[in-house]
Amino acid sequence: MLKMSKNELKNQYQHWFEKVYKKSIDKFPERCKTFKTPSGAEVNPIYTPLDNDFDYLEKLGLPGEYPFTRGVQPNMYRGRFWTMRQYAGFGNAEESNKRYKYLLAQGQTGLSIAFDLPTQIGYDSDHSLASGEVGKVGVAIDTLADMETLFAGIPLNKVSTSMTINAPASVLLAMYIAVGEKQGVARKDLEGTIQNDILKEYIARGTYIFPPKPSLRLITDIFDFCTREVPKWNTISISGYHIREAGSTAAQEVGFTLADAICYVEAALKKGLKLDEFAARLSFFFNAHNDILEEVAKFRAARRLWAKIMRDRFGAKEKKSMMLRFHTQTAGSTLTAQQPDNNIMRVAYQALASVLGGTQSLHTNSRDEALALPTEHSVTIALRTQQILAYESGAADQVDPLAGSYYIEAATDRIEKEAMEYIEKIDQMGGMTAAIEAGYVQKNIQEASYNYMQSIEKNERVIVGVNKFEAKEETPIPLLRVDPIIEKNQTEKLNKVKASRNNDKVKASLKVLQNAASGSDNLMPHIIDCVKEYASLGEICDTLRGVFGEYKENVVI
Amino acid sequence: MLKDKKIRVLIAKPGLDGHDRGAKYVAKALADHGMEVIYTGIRQTPESIANTALQEDVDIVGLSCLSGAHNSLFPKVVEELKNKKAGDIVVFGGGVIPKDDIPFLKKAGISEVFTPGTPIRTITSFIYKALNIETAPAEQFIKKLDHIGVAVTSLDEGIKLYAEGMGLALGGVEEVPEQKVKVAFFKVGDTNIELLEPTSPDSPVAKFMEKNQGPGIHHVAYEVTNIEKALEAAKARGMRLIDEKPRTGAHGKKIAFLHPASTMKVLTEYCQSC
Repeated sequence: MLKMSKNELKNQYQHWFEKVYKKSIDKFPERCKTFKTPSGAEVNPIYTPLDNDFDYLEKLGLPGEYPFTRGVQPNMYRGRFWTMRQYAGFGNAEESNKRYKYLLAQGQTGLSIAFDLPTQIGYDSDHSLASGEVGKVGVAIDTLADMETLFAGIPLNKVSTSMTINAPASVLLAMYIAVGEKQGVARKDLEGTIQNDILKEYIARGTYIFPPKPSLRLITDIFDFCTREVPKWNTISISGYHIREAGSTAAQEVGFTLADAICYVEAALKKGLKLDEFAARLSFFFNAHNDILEEVAKFRAARRLWAKIMRDRFGAKEKKSMMLRFHTQTAGSTLTAQQPDNNIMRVAYQALASVLGGTQSLHTNSRDEALALPTEHSVTIALRTQQILAYESGAADQVDPLAGSYYIEAATDRIEKEAMEYIEKIDQMGGMTAAIEAGYVQKNIQEASYNYMQSIEKNERVIVGVNKFEAKEETPIPLLRVDPIIEKNQTEKLNKVKASRNNDKVKASLKVLQNAASGSDNLMPHIIDCVKEYASLGEICDTLRGVFGEYKENVVI
Repeated sequence: MLKDKKIRVLIAKPGLDGHDRGAKYVAKALADHGMEVIYTGIRQTPESIANTALQEDVDIVGLSCLSGAHNSLFPKVVEELKNKKAGDIVVFGGGVIPKDDIPFLKKAGISEVFTPGTPIRTITSFIYKALNIETAPAEQFIKKLDHIGVAVTSLDEGIKLYAEGMGLALGGVEEVPEQKVKVAFFKVGDTNIELLEPTSPDSPVAKFMEKNQGPGIHHVAYEVTNIEKALEAAKARGMRLIDEKPRTGAHGKKIAFLHPASTMKVLTEYCQSC
């Protein structure tokens, strides 16, 4: 404990600041007038106990205990490392299946499926709007047949699978369950995550289909269904990642993500679900940006704030309901097209921040992602970055090692406070859907994004290789190309499936789904029936579009 | 094109890609440069983009795509515009686009392609060039060469040289605290020589001499008729400004500096008497 009184420290600090520090910078001016994090928060030269209003037990506690500031497990990575999970998928199911097997053979411990945009927006590969997009940013899935190919030779009881799918999450989960059944794997043994977070699609990512109300119904149907049938499944991954990628600050990332989470919890409670039955399956997804220390503080602040919200606002009783478990991806928006090898270093520092911040799983970006989808070689470097961090750096051997740093604790407090202010503002507006409709969230993100970009344009912030240390000649690196023939092949495959299935049964199952959607049934069992008949994703989504309508973006500039 | 008419730009997102950060940034930054900008929002078809371009009577269309579908979508927008007899509308693009694709896109009628990290001034100068815009020429603002600034280590020695050595008449000595310099003026015909001695080690002039390894010509200053407009014109042409807004210099003049990076390494000052 402090031997010195706070007053004494205050006096000494003031003396130091005026007489020593200021004198020194008069002689040797500092590099910048003010030092700011990428989020625009000003950083002092030093932090002391004066910056920490420190009640250890209340603010930090112990790992695995409320408020989980120090982590959700008692021993964190001393037991098991975080799950190394590289987001991958491109072209058709055969090619992606090959990449997954390669990644598993390289020591990756979980799968993460990237779907192409038509799949994410509920269009089949032969839809006119799908033209040019099939297989581009992920794998194209039209029917259960594609999903069977995607997981051929990968036993679903041996891997955990994360699927980045939102508006049609029910459909892809239904297909996964059906593939499991064909492999002889029971629903209760399936492990994985669906992103299933529609609010951030309206805010930042853009792959929405339906308006908020029916979307929230689909989401809470999944909560309900999985609680009973697929208990190990993470039913949602509430994502700050894309909010940050769209240009938000660190505090906005936490504030808006937790405000989204509050909206989902409220929707589930309204449906009659019991808090402590579904809350433990909620998971989160955050971004690891450039500023190492601010990012560590962000992860800690998010954990503490969520624990408080769940306990005090919603009255959660179970510890597991209060734990914020999260996946992290390094920040794609920080990667530069110039000197792409520099991105390897950026990613390594970002990965370090996420591990020091206590992530449960991690995707490290590849060096070439500002140019194209990553090649196998680039993905391997990214995975090795995690393995070196895990096995060699020592960062994983100690739980929450930065706790107690005057700066880290002050930054954690600051981010928690700012995030809470956003949440309160959104509450006042009537909750997240109202705040999105009013453009409040989008506007805040855009302002932050604009300020950040301007600081680079004005050379107030240096991006190595972009506005300093530019290279004249750049060594080209080989890029991954998705063969345009895939679109044609995928369409042919879809036609074949449509010709060989029992089309009367397909129609009947879609009709049942349509009726159920008009009523209040849980839609999951009906969607499972549809996919088992090889109804296509587009057909299922079109059926739901007919009942629910479509969301229209509120363009905010 | 007439210089007084505002340039109308359509920023559009063709295809299913939802990454709109870059598109929105470019839209807002171009608007800040005084252009009239319309942003479509995401998920537009090439046809709807062409329709909007016509309805809004734009001069130029900027397409953004980060999903890899650019080779298929961008040329379709050009085609649609041609079909609607609006082939004169310039189309440019940006996003995650491999270098190897750029020649194909240019052949397909995309005038320019900007990849991540492109400064906004590169885009504005492209737009002015592509539209053949006669912006108000800079000469219109510039009245005359106001002075040449010469950095010296000692003002006394400098005065000795110019007054005694060359026989010029000393116009006066003044301290400009804002710039941390002491200044001496000599009238030379219609213009002046301005000697600058730093008053503090962190004065910009001190830093200049450090880099220059001694005294030397520090900057060239032009008197302009309207400094705010002159700066605006320079910026619109893609030049970088050190001072976005004029501040006070010697003689209480309004002054502003242009960045040497965009003036071929010569630090350039605009000034206007009040």
